Formats: sequence, structure tokens, C-alpha cells
Amino acid sequence: MLVLYETAMGYCLFKVGDTAKLESDELWKEFESPEKASKLLKLKGIHRFHSTATAVEDITALQKGKLGKGLKDFLTEEIVDKGKSKESLLVIDPHLSHSIAKKLSINVSALEGKNEDLWRGIRSQLTALLNGVDPKDLATMSLGLSHSLSRFKLKFSPDKVDTMVVQAIALLDDLDKEINIYSMRVKEWYGWHFPEMAKIIVDNIAYAKVIRLMGFRTNASSTSFAAILPEDLEEVVKAAAEISMGTEISDTDIAHIHSLCDQVISISAYRTQLAEYLRNRMNAIAPNLTALVGELVGARLISHAGSLLSLAKHPASTVQILGAEKALFRALKTKHDTPKYGLIYHASLIGQAPPKLKGKMARMVATKAALSIRVDALTDSDGKSEPMAPSIGIENRAKLESRLRALEHQGDLSGVRRFADSGKKQVKFEMSGETKTYNTQADAVDLVSTQREDPMAIAVKAVLDVKEEKRRAKEERRAKKRAEKEKSEEVGDVSMDVDGAADEDEDKKAKKDKKRKRRESEAANGEAPKAKEEDETEEERKARKKARKAEKAAAEANGDANGDSESPKKKKRKSEA
Amino acid sequence: MAFGDSGGRGGFRGGDRGGFRGGRGGGDRGGFRGGGRGGGDRGGFRGGGVRGGGVTSRGGRGGGRGGDRGGRGARGGGGRGGRGGARGGGNTTLEPHRHPGVFIAKGKEHMLVTKNLVPGESVYGEKRISIEGGVEGTKVEYRVWNPFRSKLAAGVLGGLDNIYIQPGKKVLYLGAASGTSVSHVADIVGPEGVVYAVEFSPRSGRDLINMAKKRTNVIPIVEDARLPNKYRMLIATVDVIFADVAQPDQARIVILNAESFLKDLGHVVISIKASCIDSTAPADVIFAAELQKLKEGRFKALEQVTLEPYERDHAMVSAQYRRHTSV
Repeated sequence: MLVLYETAMGYCLFKVGDTAKLESDELWKEFESPEKASKLLKLKGIHRFHSTATAVEDITALQKGKLGKGLKDFLTEEIVDKGKSKESLLVIDPHLSHSIAKKLSINVSALEGKNEDLWRGIRSQLTALLNGVDPKDLATMSLGLSHSLSRFKLKFSPDKVDTMVVQAIALLDDLDKEINIYSMRVKEWYGWHFPEMAKIIVDNIAYAKVIRLMGFRTNASSTSFAAILPEDLEEVVKAAAEISMGTEISDTDIAHIHSLCDQVISISAYRTQLAEYLRNRMNAIAPNLTALVGELVGARLISHAGSLLSLAKHPASTVQILGAEKALFRALKTKHDTPKYGLIYHASLIGQAPPKLKGKMARMVATKAALSIRVDALTDSDGKSEPMAPSIGIENRAKLESRLRALEHQGDLSGVRRFADSGKKQVKFEMSGETKTYNTQADAVDLVSTQREDPMAIAVKAVLDVKEEKRRAKEERRAKKRAEKEKSEEVGDVSMDVDGAADEDEDKKAKKDKKRKRRESEAANGEAPKAKEEDETEEERKARKKARKAEKAAAEANGDANGDSESPKKKKRKSEA
Repeated sequence: MAFGDSGGRGGFRGGDRGGFRGGRGGGDRGGFRGGGRGGGDRGGFRGGGVRGGGVTSRGGRGGGRGGDRGGRGARGGGGRGGRGGARGGGNTTLEPHRHPGVFIAKGKEHMLVTKNLVPGESVYGEKRISIEGGVEGTKVEYRVWNPFRSKLAAGVLGGLDNIYIQPGKKVLYLGAASGTSVSHVADIVGPEGVVYAVEFSPRSGRDLINMAKKRTNVIPIVEDARLPNKYRMLIATVDVIFADVAQPDQARIVILNAESFLKDLGHVVISIKASCIDSTAPADVIFAAELQKLKEGRFKALEQVTLEPYERDHAMVSAQYRRHTSV
């Protein structure tokens, strides 16, 4: 029996002395010492790699389980040509044994999980078995080979096309963030000069372009914004520039703002270019996925999985929640419901579904997406460039759309039936209670419209508002004064009338007292209103604040009626004075 | 109208808001609680400052195998640039650690260091310290080994009795990532030893290869550690396997590699991240289950330490491979 063993130096062929020992469980003992090992295995032939290039070529073939050129030559020379084809050959890799058996007529076998001790033994006693090969030599070879192999592997990485998409989508996100930051800075900076414009022009790019064109706001009237803004907005800007409350800025200030605007404009121009590139790339790499969920969501999915191939290995359920890992693991840990969607949520198919159907739709889109991804990942590039390449994606999309429509329709019908079956009719809601009508007054919040309103009008309105407020304040003050005057007059009247209308007043007072008592004197705990004379002072003290006006009159009367109480006396004095 | 006072607008202006504030790396993590165990050498490392880079979480489940550990972020901003040697200066003394090849530099702070195999260069922006050698006038350079970036360093500070990685040993390092920890392992084994560094991700493998260019005792292998047959021709029998692959089938990967490459009675040191194996079960249950799997693979567990406070829900386990003797 022959044994093939691969090293970094080359291939070695050993002949097993005692085949029966290979089967025994004690095989490992045969490799305990170099002497024992070389007794069991005899080196029959060795094939050294002549150069690193051939070594890399052969080893990569070996890694794929294929028969490399070097190995083929070696085996032909050592086995077939020497007429040993009948002898069985043992190799490690079952795939390799398959290819050898196919290409050469050699009785080759490889048993997975078996003969492990043999390979371990050979590895441990390799230097002895190779008849005194310098172990340093072997180490240098494996070092050199490992470097070249790894470089080879990186150079011909199959993911390299996907990485372009992954990087592009990442850059797209970065650019969006950047543009936002920069344009906010522009607004903030230029806002000191022309604060009104931020409200008028909301679009960041247009804002930057307007600044680029106009510079100082004083130039607004002489600049034409026809290329950037619609006519109505242009007018508003010009009007606002006339009455702006912004500060003046210098030429150097505006120069820096200009260069910042240039940044915003150029970055956003590049962003559109990049989006175009991404679209083209996605159509080339994953036509079906792109047709189903769009290039942005598709690219994000690929970027999240790392490559199209690894995305293709994910099941649909994983595709569905890709991007929601945090929520998923939290849900798993706390035994709550797992999320319904991740990145796929942004697909238009799910976006157009009503909220109740979004979860269902996400599941269906994910299943179809998983299929499309697999088709895309496993079709060769020629197949993808055909005009009919995205057929599965388009078909599935149409199917999903009609399914969504059916679901929506069904949802409506079932809703109707449910109410019909139960026989209960929902009672029409009617407002009961005192406020029967909707109080529109309560809505009167000062809403400031954000834009599209004549700034002139706004400014004028603001001035008018202030005037109005002042006027109102004045009126109020006047009214107060008038009221006070009247009050004092009234009191005077009462005091004059006192003698004549004492009895009448007494009656009034009693009534009022009763009322007040009912309302307020809980402390007295329902003390009988009969004890009028005694209670009077106490009640008065309590209620003085609330009904001062009436009190005064009442006190007057009271004081006249029974002069023995304390406070009325004081009041009396006051009113008399 | 008043745009100037953008109170309600979510503070766009505050310059202090933006930027990457080293998310999790911030000092809040570093605090040396406990501190009882490891002795003096623990006190040295100040918080996670060095960890720097924004996204440090080591890929929950999807994260590329072994992935880059947020390390790259620190490359620029990390270790305060240039020659850190000045800080070593005269008043820093060196003491050998319990583990051969590992040292403690005792200056203002105590730091775990390894002897730099390639003097004058740092691999990932870590600090270097030059200390007077035995002979007058000669200086030996050491590199600081940060336990927040390297699980093995965390294991050493966590109090592992033996890491089995010693000068002259052959080590199979599974989950090498960008080669930051690998470089320290290479320092420990020295020119006589060999480190076979296996990493699957091409992106991390790129950095690994660049590191290995300078250290001839590192053999970079960009392959899937699940398929040891793919790199069988490059590896000789090894003394130790160190595994930091953070995969659900981690134990299986280790057993497969041990069957092919680990000598009988050799050792494995495994870093187990509980949340990578099962995020729902409690950590200690997972550790026990993993140990059971190792036992079935003919390993005898020797030690287990937690990597607190450097990592959360991590354990470092060492075991001995007993292929032909009873476990």
C-alpha cells in the first residue's frame, strides 16, 4: 500500500511495510520514535516544487481537491509508469482521491475520519521519514509558500466585485451625512447675514446655490435666480432681502461661506454620480434583487452580509431581519416578539403596504428576495448581462404587488363581514355633555407659517401685532382705572345710603352670608346659619378676599347694625375716612 | 424667524457633539474594579483609552469571523504616537512575568509587555519601551500588550496559571484577525518558535500578511479554520492551539484542528465568547456546555478564568489534548 503525503516542499510517496498495522488502534505507537516510524513507512519517491510559482499553482489545485500538474506527473511517473497501478494509494482528501481516480487508473482511496493517526504520525515524524531533510528547510518553504498562497488568495478574492458595491453604498451614506452637516453649517453661518432665507429656501442645495450666486443679500435685487428657484420663491427672497434683519458681514466672511457652498454643491453633484454608478453596478451584479427591492436596499443587504455569495447563503428569515440584529437578540434574550423587518423595510413593496400588512409583506418580500439573491449569486456574469436577466425579480415583484392588493381587498371585506356577523351595530358616536359644539377658539394657536408667505407681509404683520398688543394693554389699563373709580363711587353711595337702607342691606347681607357659608365654611362643619350674629366676623375674615366689594358694603351695614364686633369697626372707620 | 438661537433644533452647533467618541472604548469600561486577584500588574492600564476606535463590538453573530476587533481605529489615534520610549526612560524596571516570554514593565504604571522581535516598529500603534539590557549601553525594546485589545493578555492578567505559549513553542493561532495579538505571541515564542496564524477574512488577512512580513516566525494562512485539510501542507505538528474564533461551532473547530495538528498531550487555550454561541442562555451554562464538547473531543479541561473586566461574558479555558490516554 502506498501513501501520498503533501508538504510545503513537495509531494512524498511512502510505502507501508505492514498494512495490517494501519488498521490497528495502536497505530500511533508506531510513530513514537523516528526509528519505528521509518520501519513502518519507506520513502518511495519525492517530488520537490521547483519554484514558488509552481508550488502555488499545485497547492491551490490541491486545496480545491483537484489534481495539479505536478502531482499528475509525479503519480504517473512513480505509479503508472512503474506498473504499480494495482497497488492501492491512500490520500487524505476524499475530493483529491476522486480526481485522481478519474484522471489516472490508480486504485486510490481516502477515508474521512479514518487513518487520522497515520497522518498525525507522518506529520510528527516527517523529518525522519524524509531521510534527514533539514527541518529548517521545510520551515522556510512553508513560510514562503504560505505568504505566496495568501497573497494569491487575496488577489483573486471572489468577493472583489461585491466589495465595490459595499464600499459605494457606505460612501453614499457618508456623503449624505457630510452634505447634511455642511449645509447646516452654511445655513447657520449665512443665517447671521440673512436669517430669513433659511425659512424661505428649505432645500440645502438650492440654498447653497443661491448664496453662491447672490453673495451679499444686498445683491438680491440685481441677481436673477431663474436657473435655481421657481418664480414665486425668487420674489419672496428678493422681498425678504430688502427688509432683512441680518447683520452685515465682510468680504472675507462671504469668501469663506462661498467656498463652503462650493463644497456642498460639488459633494452633492458627486453624490448623484455615485448613485448612478451604484445603480449600474447593482444591475450588473444582482439584477433580480435590484428589480425586486431596488438598488439601495439591495446594496445595503449585500453590504450587511459581506458579499453576494454569503447573502445567498442566508435563509429568507435571516434576510427579512438583516439589519435588526440588536432588536432580534434583545427580543430573544427577553423572550419577546422578534422584529418583523430590518433593512428590507425600506423596500418600496413594504413601504406601500398598510401598517397592518407590513410584517406579512416583509416576510413575503424576504422569501422572494432570497430566491432572487440565489439566482443572482449563482448565475455567471454572462447570464446576468442578458436583457432578460432580471426576469425572476420582475415577475416576483408583480406577483407580490398583486398579492398585496388582494390582501388589502380581503382585509376590507373581512372587516365588513365581521361587523355584519356579530349583528351588533356600532352606535354612532355623539357628543354628550355640555359642550356640544367644537370649540374652534381653543385651536387658535399662533401658527407661524414657515414659508411661501410674503415676507413683507410677515414683517408688516409683526409690526401691527406689536401695535395691537400695546393698544390692548393701554385699554386694559384704562378699563381698570375706570372700574376702580366706579367701585369707590359705589362704596361711597352705599355708605351714604346706609342709614336709609339699613334694613334692606341687612337682608341682602344675610342672604349672601348664607351662600358664602354653604360654599366655604367647611371648617365650621355645617354650623347652623342661625348663629348669624356670632359668625359674622369669622365669615367675613374668611371670605374677605373673594368678595371684597360686597363685603365692604355688608361690613358697613353690619357695623352699623351691631357695633360691638371688631373688624367691622375698622372697616367702618376706613369707609368713613 | 430667529434662526440664530436654534434652541429647539437639536444642537447642530455644539462642536462637541459630533465626532467619533470612541463609543465603548471610553474610560467607563476600564475601571479596575475587583483588582484583588492579579496583583500589582493590573493597575497599570488606564481604562480603554487605547482602544480608541469607534465600533468595537466584535460582531455579534454576523460579524466576519474573527473580524477586525475595532482595532484599526486606534491605529492612528491610539498609543500616543511616535516613540513611546521616552516614558520608559530610566526609571522603568522590567520584571519577568510568571509566564516565560512575558514581562511586566514597572514605571509610573505597570504594563504587560513582550520583547519586540522587530525593534523600532510597532504593529498597531502600541507603545514601545526601551529598557537597559544586561550589558551596559545596550537597550532592549518591549511592546506594551493591551488587555483590552488582546484576549490572551486579558487571560494573562486574569490569572491563567499557564498559557503554554512559551519561547520556542509551535503555536497554531485560530482567528488571527489583523495580527495584533499574533504579533505578541510571535514575540513570546521568539525566533525559535513558530506561529501559524489562521484567519478567514481577506480584509483582516491583508493586515495579517503585512504584519507577518516583518516577523519570519509567523506563517499567515488565509483560510477557513473549519477546513484544516486546506492548509494541511503548511503546518507541522504544533504544541499549542490558541483559538479566538468567536463562532457557534468553536469547539468543533478546535477539535478538528487538534485532530490534525496538535501533538498528543499538547494544549489548547480557547477564548469563549458566550454571546457568540448562544445569546439567550446564561454565560456559565454555555461555558459548561463548551467544556463538555471539548471533553468529548478528548480534551481534559485544566483551567477556566473569566476575562472581566476586559471583556464581558468571556471565558478563557485551557485544556490538554489526551488522544491516547483517558481524559
